[in-house]
Amino acid sequence: MILSGTSSARESRIQRRLAQLTLAAMLLGAASVHGAESPARPIAPPPAPGPAAGLADSAALRATVFGTPPQDMAPMPSRVPLAEIDIALPWARPVPDVFWFDRKLRVWFSAQDNPAPLAIVISGTGNDGNTAKLSVLRGALYGAGYHVLTMPSPTFPGFIVSASSTGVAGDLMQDGLDLYSAMQQIIAHLPKKVRITDVDVLGFSLGGANAAIVKSIASTQGELKIHRAVMINPPVSLFSSIGRLDELFELSIGSGDEGVERLYRRLYAELANLYRASDRVQIDQDFILGAAATVLKTDAEFSAAISLSFRINLEDMFFAGDLYAGTGVVVDPRHPPKVGDSLEETQRILRNKPFSEYFTKVFAPYYLKQRANSTPASLIDGNRLGIIGDALRNDPDYYAQTNSDDLILDKQELAWLRDTLGSRIAVYDHGGHLGNVGERQQVADMLDMLAGRWPGTAK
Amino acid sequence: MRSALVLGMLLIVQGCASQGVSIRSLPPEDPAAVNAAAVESAAAFAAAGETGRVGQNAPETLPPVTPADAPSMYTYDPWERINRFTYRFNARFDEAVFLRAANAYRRVPAPIRSGVHNFFGNLSEVDSVINYVLQWRLELGGRSLGRFVINSTIGIGGLFDVAARLKLAGEPTGLSTTLAQWGMHPGPYLVIPLLGPSTLRDGIGFLGDYGASYGINIAGLYRGDVSWALGTINAVDQRSNVDFRYYSTGSPFEYENVRFLYVRKRLIEDEGLRAKQPRKRTKSTTQQENAVHEPAGQ
Repeated sequence: MILSGTSSARESRIQRRLAQLTLAAMLLGAASVHGAESPARPIAPPPAPGPAAGLADSAALRATVFGTPPQDMAPMPSRVPLAEIDIALPWARPVPDVFWFDRKLRVWFSAQDNPAPLAIVISGTGNDGNTAKLSVLRGALYGAGYHVLTMPSPTFPGFIVSASSTGVAGDLMQDGLDLYSAMQQIIAHLPKKVRITDVDVLGFSLGGANAAIVKSIASTQGELKIHRAVMINPPVSLFSSIGRLDELFELSIGSGDEGVERLYRRLYAELANLYRASDRVQIDQDFILGAAATVLKTDAEFSAAISLSFRINLEDMFFAGDLYAGTGVVVDPRHPPKVGDSLEETQRILRNKPFSEYFTKVFAPYYLKQRANSTPASLIDGNRLGIIGDALRNDPDYYAQTNSDDLILDKQELAWLRDTLGSRIAVYDHGGHLGNVGERQQVADMLDMLAGRWPGTAK
Repeated sequence: MRSALVLGMLLIVQGCASQGVSIRSLPPEDPAAVNAAAVESAAAFAAAGETGRVGQNAPETLPPVTPADAPSMYTYDPWERINRFTYRFNARFDEAVFLRAANAYRRVPAPIRSGVHNFFGNLSEVDSVINYVLQWRLELGGRSLGRFVINSTIGIGGLFDVAARLKLAGEPTGLSTTLAQWGMHPGPYLVIPLLGPSTLRDGIGFLGDYGASYGINIAGLYRGDVSWALGTINAVDQRSNVDFRYYSTGSPFEYENVRFLYVRKRLIEDEGLRAKQPRKRTKSTTQQENAVHEPAGQ
């Protein structure tokens, strides 16, 4: 955090997560929607999803926010070497002025000294390739003897700008192709002394679905062969899962300017009063930590924190997609913003836009034009794991881990995953969405799956 | 000395000139230590959750801040164009020079780094003493003075923070807090070259703090060539302790987000100062902020 002076080595994951959520919660602005919008073609938004398994479950909400308790963490090595790789990819589209800092794709690599298998881990929606969750998985995988490459989500703005061939993120197959091409380039440029014996892919949340798609692409094309894929808390239907997070936002925060502004004002007042009552001279991580514990109490507040951090990620993807596709929702295609221009008003407008608007106003108009004979319904269907259903069912090298109270799945979707993967899925009772990443059992099972020694679903 | 520094920076900038691929080795991660810290913070978290308060030694003598008192979501930034330019310059400089130096510095053994950090922290106690006196917070001023005396002597010139072990933890302050205590409004948002986010008041505070140190020139460290060397080490030390990287969010809205967080953080800190001096003023800083800078029509 820029706001404090504590060393990153000393910062805990929980502190970071809480600070991020609390401060992120404060980021929301009153969304005054008065930007000129292009006349949208009448595209129906994705159908309303069924209720998620863990949406009304307090334990699931809390696990999702707090993550794995430290005492339940799997053992980690005490030293994990790390290198940062910036790579320019030849197929990237011209970089718009406002994205000058995202010119190259940035990924992180931890190399073993001896020949070893490579585990490639793909981040979740809107996230970069070096988050706290990735750091945990990196530690576990490196400790188990893998070279580890961690990559951003194809929905992360840095990926959209430097590695997407369309600029319009969220299409499973297109994003998978871009990811796969990027992986090939990165591996080709690794130092010669790094000797790779096998390649596996993993991912969490949307990254889980991305990982499975990448493996399926690798089986039919390209030089990079991928052995096993492990999906951690994947969505089954991308648009249904995101629709659920939109619903959560509406339920916990409300739509329109008022809900958002109300939340901001309440948080501000609570933080100010807490700070007054504290004996601190400066606001630092410890203060934020205590404040978060005090502010987040009810289910509605946990829900607000979850849906808010997702909405903030969506703003960037929406903005980039609109800019590249020239759909004119918040960016005038004839006068795109320059480096020195204020984007405050644009951000305010975007804060009030749910994912369904990204679909109807940016994603669908763009891909309908690109793909002859496609329809909005076919685009929605194209974003289900079902597109590689046969491979998931028949290829013994696909695995999944999820929780029965995951917020992004409903009962049918969970049943579909179980039915499709058979004994190659581990379903834990608790953990919400990603709330048990790094936990002993999760890590042990993940390593067994990657090594092909997973005994199959037990219990 | 100065020319050597400038040359060094140019070489580093040159060295990172754009190529297809660049691989940079970073200090190794220690997930186990992160875990240990997490156990500690989990305990703190549980304690904070139980009491519902972070600390309770300041009696609440003012009516609480209500949601209606919260400042507008807009931030007063009349110099936005130049600020954005500076922010971009800072990001580039940080990536090319500062961050590299900080990453290299993180490989220095931890006891040496902590000695360096303590040394500079100890020097800044002098400024804290002055400002606590100006703020009329004599108890804290006494604490800073005590820390300075103890750490300069028993702590061998400030290399060891002995005072913290004697339950005299550091609470640095500066002129910007003094100005806030005196009722000065934060003023417009300001991005300072090399330093980053600030406000006009905080910028004046920074210059004042530097001026005071320069004027006092303790042990002759603030003038001449030695000041350049020490200033550079101080800057690298400070940078290596801040876990922030420009544009790691990849977001086109990063300028807006950082501005928003910085200004709200400072406004909340002003609220805390005001609560400790209830009789001086009646209008909260955030109410002033609302009154002065609410854009028309909002």
